[in-house]
Amino acid sequence: MRRLGSRLAQMVFVLWAVATILFLIFRLMPGNPLAAYIDPNFTVEQQRELMQRFGLDRPLHEQYVLYLGNLLRGDLGDSFFYRAPVTKLIWEVFPNTIALTLFALLIAYTVGTLGGIVLAWLRGTWVEGVTIPLVLTTRAAPEFWLGMLLLAVFSFNLGWFPSGGANSAGASFDSELARFLSLDFLRHLFLPATALAIYLHGLPLLLMRSNMLDVLQEDFVTMAKMKGLSHWTILVRHAARNALLPVVTAFAVGIGYSIGGNVVIETVFSWPGLGRLLVRAVSASDYPLAQGAFLVIAAVIVVMNFIADMLYSTLDPRVAHER
Amino acid sequence: MRRIVGLTLVVLLACGAVAQGDPVRTITVLSQPQAAAPYEYQSIQLVANAWRQLGIDVEIQVSPWEQLSDIVWFNRQTWDATGWQMVGRPERSDPDEIVFNLFHSSTAEAGFNFVGYNNPAYDAVAEAQRVATDLDERQRLIYEAQAIIDQDQVYAFLVYPESIYAYRSDVWNPDSIVEQSGIGIKNTWTFIEAEPIGSQRDMVLNSNFVVQAINPLYISGSVDSWITELVWDRLLRVGPDGLPVPWSAESYEWIDDVTIDVVLRAGMTWHDGEPVTVEDVVFSFEAAGGGEAPMYTPFVSAIADIEIRDERTVRFTLTRPQAAFLTASLAKINLIPRHIWEPVLTDLQGQPENAESYQEDVPVGSGPFTFVRWRASEEVVLAANPNHWAAPKMDRWILRMIPNVEATLGALRSGELNFLAAYPGDPAVLAATARGNPIEVVASTDIGFRFVAFNHRRPPFDDAAFRRALSQAINRDLIIDAAYNDFATAANSPVSIALEFWNNPDVAGFETGMDLARQTLADAGYVLVDGRLHYPTGVSETLGR
Repeated sequence: MRRLGSRLAQMVFVLWAVATILFLIFRLMPGNPLAAYIDPNFTVEQQRELMQRFGLDRPLHEQYVLYLGNLLRGDLGDSFFYRAPVTKLIWEVFPNTIALTLFALLIAYTVGTLGGIVLAWLRGTWVEGVTIPLVLTTRAAPEFWLGMLLLAVFSFNLGWFPSGGANSAGASFDSELARFLSLDFLRHLFLPATALAIYLHGLPLLLMRSNMLDVLQEDFVTMAKMKGLSHWTILVRHAARNALLPVVTAFAVGIGYSIGGNVVIETVFSWPGLGRLLVRAVSASDYPLAQGAFLVIAAVIVVMNFIADMLYSTLDPRVAHER
Repeated sequence: MRRIVGLTLVVLLACGAVAQGDPVRTITVLSQPQAAAPYEYQSIQLVANAWRQLGIDVEIQVSPWEQLSDIVWFNRQTWDATGWQMVGRPERSDPDEIVFNLFHSSTAEAGFNFVGYNNPAYDAVAEAQRVATDLDERQRLIYEAQAIIDQDQVYAFLVYPESIYAYRSDVWNPDSIVEQSGIGIKNTWTFIEAEPIGSQRDMVLNSNFVVQAINPLYISGSVDSWITELVWDRLLRVGPDGLPVPWSAESYEWIDDVTIDVVLRAGMTWHDGEPVTVEDVVFSFEAAGGGEAPMYTPFVSAIADIEIRDERTVRFTLTRPQAAFLTASLAKINLIPRHIWEPVLTDLQGQPENAESYQEDVPVGSGPFTFVRWRASEEVVLAANPNHWAAPKMDRWILRMIPNVEATLGALRSGELNFLAAYPGDPAVLAATARGNPIEVVASTDIGFRFVAFNHRRPPFDDAAFRRALSQAINRDLIIDAAYNDFATAANSPVSIALEFWNNPDVAGFETGMDLARQTLADAGYVLVDGRLHYPTGVSETLGR
């Protein structure tokens, strides 16, 4: 229980540090947020009024106190660019991003984990010689290239899947849930999730394989062999369960990183997600929106790390004991 | 006395080589990056090369648009020259905005005359055309303004780009697609007139930019204006030929130079069913000038008084004659329902926010389309308003946000898109995609133009002869060929050739060539020493090396 408390305190500290760094970075960046809203008919007074409305005319420390105070109340401010609350803007695209990330990670980690087990088993065979370089290639291939390839083949040429977006033009649904469960949404989700999964599956696969190889050296495996257990039972029931632990951590942390790292896939597939919102916000010096988006991403990463930690000590009591 | 001066001059010239000023410093030219603006980036490379051949040391500095505009717009003393553009908008069909705002000295400090051009003779002409209500007289003045700009080479004009759009001819009847002069086929008239041929009755079009706001009192992103023009009506609209035509106004009549009566069309309703009244019209113009909609204020500043004459007639009285009033005010101000906006504006008074940050959940106008849905970074859906007197022939208008150019072309080919409304890519690729498919590509010369801006505040750009030489050195045909794939026309005036009535054809014959440019520099006293250009005698470099 005390451990939980100190972990929570650490989380709050990390988030505060992230919030502060974000605040500073965007204000030290070259470029003036006003530049994104220049209009031929703006007078000096109108520009000044605009600065005032955004609070940009105040000294930095006042802006900072204001910013932290609002943050504590859960108010991320209003976007300069959209003139709308940041929370609303983020919330509109966040579910799409979560759907894409989870779907892709599930495919990647299912395929990756099973693949890792199989490859550990087939160590030293020709299958390994072919598969490992192939997996390394997919990890090294640029995402946009992979995405364009999938688009060109499955959308433009075969016409099996739509070329972008999260829904067909003008499709309407009774609720957000109905939208997520619709065939239309899944059809749109398939290509971007596949592209992302192809990119992501290398990590769990290689991780699982090397863990398996380690575990297979351990005494209890030798013991199991001596007991005369079948190859398959040893592999899945004994070795895989032990080798799975780091993969679970990688999965949880992977969610955090993928949430913010989908910019390329989102752009290639016109997927309305957090990444695109973020890029637009940064390039337009839209401080509040960029801060808000980064903060949400940071929060997800921190929470996922926390969950991974907790899961770890639940799955493997040895970890908790050692502390 | 005169003889002595003359003699001295002869002696000095005879001395030759020593008679020169400081070397001209390294000139920095700003440009957007290749990825964001390939045309501009490539043009600037060619321009810089040409200038180097004149003996000038040229450096190109590339920065993204946001940072570029921060330098050019807010730090006006700090830059030498920059690639820039003016985009075409329907209200720029009247040359006033360009002729006055861009070049009048009053806007040099913080307004649109960002190059700091200051010529009292030009100011006088720009002011005179504003109040010239006689069309021929005004045309003469606009011609004169262009002649002065040509003489001074205020900018080095490069090209009038062609805007390129496309549509599926198996979905839309080609005869119903309207080409608006200087704007292209992506315009309100097309969206109203476009006639579906088969069962696909929705127009699905693309934007490579997100929608920022859907607000009749806020001039936000350019894509946003496509939507506001459809949801809200205006008294007049800029017609396909570029001239204003009555729209929500049934007719208008000038009583004298400063008084105009406007008669409202009968039987119009707002999207919520309420009738459109003259009170709404008065309210709309007052809201634009009332301090909560600062971007619209300049468009109503010439109005001294608005008076309701009867239940369909409104009389506008102006502070002074204003030639552009029809286009700049009556065809610009969105008509908004008083019953919705009056409480909103009252509420906003005394708050730091203004109407620009107010977003209606369901925007209500009286226009030919009604608002259905807006999902940020995904799509905006409008539906045809069957009760409108000019009801569209399509069922829905669906704008999809597609950031990926290749995916846009793929979607057009597959029919997922049936109207290409934004295409920043290579025209040749579009043409190749269209070949063998029922896709019609339409290119038309734009009202907008691209140019290299000289900063007149910084020598040697304060010297008209220097600017002229630099402009003469630019090979525009090469730029059109290499950077624009022939989808552009050479420019030498801020008034596009697309505005046939206003463009002065005499300035189009601007002569260029490297030899000519060298001659111009030599005539103005600039000297080449060891391949490096030097100022004329006695002129020193004041801005570093």
